Amino acid sequence: MTLLSLVVLLPIGALLLRAAEIGPAELWATIGSKRVLAALLLSFRAALIAALFNLVFGLALAWVLVRYDFPGRKLVDAAVDLPFALPTAVAGIALTTIYAPNGVFGAPVMDWFGVRLAYTEIGIWIALVFVGLPFAVRTVQPVIQEIEKEVEEASATLGASRVTTLRRVILPMLLPALLTGFALALARAVGEYGSVIFIAGNLPFQTEIAPLLIVIKLEEFDYEGAVAIAIAMLAISFAMLLLINLIQVWSRRYSSEG
Amino acid sequence: MHIEIDEIAKEFGATAALQPVSLSIPSGALIALLGPSGSGKTTLLRILGGLEEPSQGRVLFDGVDATGMRVQDRRAGFVFQHYALFKHMTVFENIAYGLRARPRATRPANAEIGRRVTKLLELIQLPDIGKRYPSQLSGGQRQRVALARALAIEPRMLLLDEPFGALDAKVRKELRGGLRHIHDTTGLTTIFVTHDQEEAMELADLVVVMSMGRIEQVGKPADIRAKPQTEFVREFLAA
Amino acid sequence: MADATFSPMTDSALTLASRPRATRFRKATEEPRWFRWTLTAVVLVLLAVLVLAPLATVFVEALVKGIPAALESLGDEDALAAIRLTLTIAAVAVPLNALFGVAAAWALTKYSWRGKAFLLTLIDLPFSVSPVVAGLCIVLLFGANSAIGGWLVATGHPIVFAVPGIVLATMFITFPFVARELVPLMTEQGTSEEEAALTLGASGARMFFTVTLPNIKWALLYGVLLCNARAMGEFGAVAVVSGKIRGETATMPIMIEIFYNQYASVAAFTMAGVLTLLALVTLGLKTALEWRYADQLSASGRH
Repeated sequence: MTLLSLVVLLPIGALLLRAAEIGPAELWATIGSKRVLAALLLSFRAALIAALFNLVFGLALAWVLVRYDFPGRKLVDAAVDLPFALPTAVAGIALTTIYAPNGVFGAPVMDWFGVRLAYTEIGIWIALVFVGLPFAVRTVQPVIQEIEKEVEEASATLGASRVTTLRRVILPMLLPALLTGFALALARAVGEYGSVIFIAGNLPFQTEIAPLLIVIKLEEFDYEGAVAIAIAMLAISFAMLLLINLIQVWSRRYSSEG
Repeated sequence: MHIEIDEIAKEFGATAALQPVSLSIPSGALIALLGPSGSGKTTLLRILGGLEEPSQGRVLFDGVDATGMRVQDRRAGFVFQHYALFKHMTVFENIAYGLRARPRATRPANAEIGRRVTKLLELIQLPDIGKRYPSQLSGGQRQRVALARALAIEPRMLLLDEPFGALDAKVRKELRGGLRHIHDTTGLTTIFVTHDQEEAMELADLVVVMSMGRIEQVGKPADIRAKPQTEFVREFLAA
Repeated sequence: MADATFSPMTDSALTLASRPRATRFRKATEEPRWFRWTLTAVVLVLLAVLVLAPLATVFVEALVKGIPAALESLGDEDALAAIRLTLTIAAVAVPLNALFGVAAAWALTKYSWRGKAFLLTLIDLPFSVSPVVAGLCIVLLFGANSAIGGWLVATGHPIVFAVPGIVLATMFITFPFVARELVPLMTEQGTSEEEAALTLGASGARMFFTVTLPNIKWALLYGVLLCNARAMGEFGAVAVVSGKIRGETATMPIMIEIFYNQYASVAAFTMAGVLTLLALVTLGLKTALEWRYADQLSASGRH
């Protein structure tokens, strides 16, 4: 336990202590400054969009992996963990290369639709979808595996179409896991740095994410500014943790044997 | 409804779960499919319910070929061994599910759904549990809710897979009476699967003894007891 | 017919009209074939575009000028220093976190005490804290202008912009991996086997090595693998703490950034390729473990 406090609690304590020294008024002023606010909003908005995409994509992927059989399924299943195992800097430069205006995917999109992917907010979305995907898939997948087929059959014998069964029986059963995966992907994406900074473009007010702004403030020796942004992000992290715990409590309300 | 099973067989891969079997079930009968595990009784029940496709043969409902009919259109009230209640819905919503799932044109109004669910809760003698969740019910109560849910769709037949299998001995005896009562009230052709000969003999009008995917003997409980026709039936009854 | 509810249906819409036999039987638990194929295709294409394409790109870009050029870039003095540094850091951080993970899982599952739920939440904290924030915390704690940091720098043991800081940042980030794998498994296993061993007269240490450890060894290995992959690949926290001094505090991921920003594409992607191979080996071992010892790894907590 001493190790826990040394490695995790002490550093966070240092951050909080420093924040207390600076005082709420000063912190609030920094967070409220236009550039910081823009960065925080961008981080949160992009993370939200990516997590929403992963909510749907992760569910579809998990469903396909559990329910459908196709050649190479086990390999695909293993590949889902790749974004988790791949260092973020590696993912960052690889994604940038592909989605840059001269990249394999970036060039055709640029030619056909005139839309830039890398160095815009869309690039940030792509990177955040990449890092969040394993969380979205791996939280719902075991729950899909545990669905009793009998429950689906019961729904069908009662006259429900497959669509009705999916919507009214299966989706509610998956909801807690879906929300947990969503919150995990969101939490991860809000704080993500390595995979984003290469593809983002990093223009203040446009594609400058909050973690990058912390790094910039630190390089300018503006510790107060860095601490203020970090406090805002820490608050978001805690809110996510709380949310995840609440979802888990809520999801247990049916399963209590009594 | 009169059910005719005509040379139905079922293979799962290389193993034959059902040899071609034929059986005629008179309208309004209470039938037990009796046999040890692996005898094909559940497979036969699932084929009747439309949950499994027969490899060959036909099923006729009131003389009409229903072999390829979709599960949803069969209106077979099916009670699963572990009840398969919807955990995230209240008892009321569980029972109302089949009515709510109907296409808009044939869906009853909310008030009518409420009326029917209340009636069904009275029929299973649990009038006050509508607001509870399945996890808050005892095993016996869950079984009765599953039965009410199956009855709510105004089924043309009632199919039950080991309906008493997951219950302890005392509750089992009580609920046998309950099933008999519901059968007599509704007049539905009722088929239940069991491995318990006492249960089959006590409850059913007609007992179908099965083994290794074949029908060994069909008859009234007393006749089967008095005159077992095959070696298997003799040994199974002696056990 | 005691009740109208149960009367045979007269509703013409629902009666048994002689329907033509369906051409293809579909199980009640399956979606239509066209739907299955479409969904599978969409999902696989998206996965290829988002995940497999970057993977392929790493190797294509690394080898674009041939294998010798790629290998030569690894021979660069700074590149070699980065590889040595990353290996050193993993060699320190991973065993320490493995040790802690076992201790924490042990404390969390074999005993009950107040504040247990709180600790369980704390263990997950590094998962949801931004790596950059983690790095900042360590800078604030041990940086030259903090009380501890000032003293350490004065006595010639700087932590920030030096190796110890990188180790601490790495440990912070990879803290939960081992414990998260072990906690669900050890909860399932309970304490009965340990109690049996104790009643048979085994000492505490003997019990741990003969009963507990064999039961958790595969989950432990699995957690260590994940921890190691993350430790070697950590970027955000290290970027803040290390100062990015070439040849001294630049780890492999930091070196990738430096090369990339200098347009040394082959060097950047070759180093990335080395880390990617490590990630692939990790994934391979992890998958092999999952297939072989599925029952000894807990189903939950697979991320």
